[in-house]
Amino acid sequence: MSYDADAGMLSCPSCRTRMDVRELEQLRGGQAAGRAGTACVADTVVYHCNNCGADLLATPETAATKCSFCGAGVVLADRVSGERRPQLVIPFTISRDEAIRAFKKWCRNGLITPRGFMSADRIQSITGIYVPFWLYDLNGHVHVEAVCTKVRTYSDGDYLYTETSFFDASREINLNYVMVPADASRKMDDAFMDLLEPYHYGQLKEFQTPYLAGYLAETYQYTDEELLPRAKDKIIGFIEDYIRSTYAGYASVKYRNKQIDIRKINSYYVLFPVWMVVYDYDNFKYTFAMNGQTGKVVGKPPISFGKVVAWFAGVAAGTFLLLKTAAFALGGGFF
Amino acid sequence: MRRAMRRLVVLLACFAFMLLPPAAAMAETGRLVYDHAGLLSDSEEAALAARAAELGAKRETAFIVITLNGTDGKDIVDYVADFYDETAPGYDKPHGNAAILAIDLKERDVFLAGFKKAETYLDGARLDKIREAITPYLSEGRFYEAFMLYVEMACDYMGYRPGVNPDSLLFKTSFQAAVSLGVAAGVVAALFVRTRGRVTVTSRTYLDASRSRVVRQTDRFTHKHVTRTKIERNKSGGGFRGGGGSFGGGVTRGGHSFSGSRGKF
Repeated sequence: MSYDADAGMLSCPSCRTRMDVRELEQLRGGQAAGRAGTACVADTVVYHCNNCGADLLATPETAATKCSFCGAGVVLADRVSGERRPQLVIPFTISRDEAIRAFKKWCRNGLITPRGFMSADRIQSITGIYVPFWLYDLNGHVHVEAVCTKVRTYSDGDYLYTETSFFDASREINLNYVMVPADASRKMDDAFMDLLEPYHYGQLKEFQTPYLAGYLAETYQYTDEELLPRAKDKIIGFIEDYIRSTYAGYASVKYRNKQIDIRKINSYYVLFPVWMVVYDYDNFKYTFAMNGQTGKVVGKPPISFGKVVAWFAGVAAGTFLLLKTAAFALGGGFF
Repeated sequence: MRRAMRRLVVLLACFAFMLLPPAAAMAETGRLVYDHAGLLSDSEEAALAARAAELGAKRETAFIVITLNGTDGKDIVDYVADFYDETAPGYDKPHGNAAILAIDLKERDVFLAGFKKAETYLDGARLDKIREAITPYLSEGRFYEAFMLYVEMACDYMGYRPGVNPDSLLFKTSFQAAVSLGVAAGVVAALFVRTRGRVTVTSRTYLDASRSRVVRQTDRFTHKHVTRTKIERNKSGGGFRGGGGSFGGGVTRGGHSFSGSRGKF
């Protein structure tokens, strides 16, 4: 049985039986679907496929994969249990077909991508991966002192007066950020993963192993403590924004003292759905990532030099003509 | 790719074509250069007359240059007014459209006048601008350059509807080209950013607004300082509408009104 994103249930491709994930969990008394028997304990890399019995080699970060012989989904149960058991998961809501369709649609929107790329018929592979993330609840305590000014101008007789008032303005701010994500995968490009955000947390589910069936999944490769600095980095800009907003109304703000103290309140280990698309264009492989929940696509598509130049020349000529026409309408000569 | 390139060539050609000035039509007009003071060589006089005729045809106006060495006691303004009455210059008919530049070496007077169409298109303010531009050349004795500049500027200014500032940045082709290139660069940059994927997370996405607030806030006034600057009042703003100018214009004895600008060099 594999997890069917359309139905939000497990379904068997041969007999079409559908089953809710929780139902199955209860049925098996906590036993995972397609649970692979391990040859050894701990971090060994040889597993057996429950379906055909073949030996499977799995990299240490793999939590779920497909049997390379029979194609059955294999969940490496010991990799998603104990302290490596994810607390929450957002299941795929975009199925493979929808992902392909969404990707093709996205390709057509590329205004400066080559014509051949836009037809998007050379998808080499499309892989659904549950990427490990840490979600952090963070508390930021801020203390700032600043010298601010307000400027007022008025005229009296022959003189224009500029009055600058100075203020000592301090702020004590308490900020809470919830579920700030940071990807815990070594393989995935951080910038890529950040661009895939946001995920809608309304669909967060308690983790059950069967969600992984039919997809690839990784375990975390960084601990929550290791990734905490990255999460802090992500919200520091938000905090700066917030501080600035509290000084609205002043003409200038000069910070004399700024203390930002960010502490971790909570962290959760979760799996987020990502479609990885490998696309072959002009003998070159391009990789794209798609948010498996929202369908947002990120990646670096090829750029058509001709189209870029054409856009540049077109816009420049158009604007020039517009300005000329405007000048003419205002009473200037056309030349 | 080839199609894109072809399209590009066409676009660039259009762009280049817009930058080219149109060929001016040539037409016969009456005498345009009256070099009584003998300031120009024969070839200079011929070249000036040719250019004045060429540009005059474009604006349907006679661009006339008069050099004098004394005016028999007459004021230069009266001299030009009488000249218009008696000689009856014009582009296509007597007493027609005419712009006249007269200089008197004896009094070091320079006077510019506009009649008929040139009276509205070359109002006092515009004639002032031309006079201010050519006066340095006249003072240095570079008369030919001064006269040529007068003809070029008069023709240029007559291309703008009366009342607008002909020197406005908006009318400058170089400015228009610069703005166009800037806009194009901006659009292309935006397209690049768009293909890479946009950040759709804002500073409020992960903020728990109900548990975030300013706990304590003080805004204490410390001091203030005041600076004052004198308001320049003698400069009337704008100055191009209504076509005032320092001279104000006048009427010839023959009843022809004109705009003008006079000064010394």
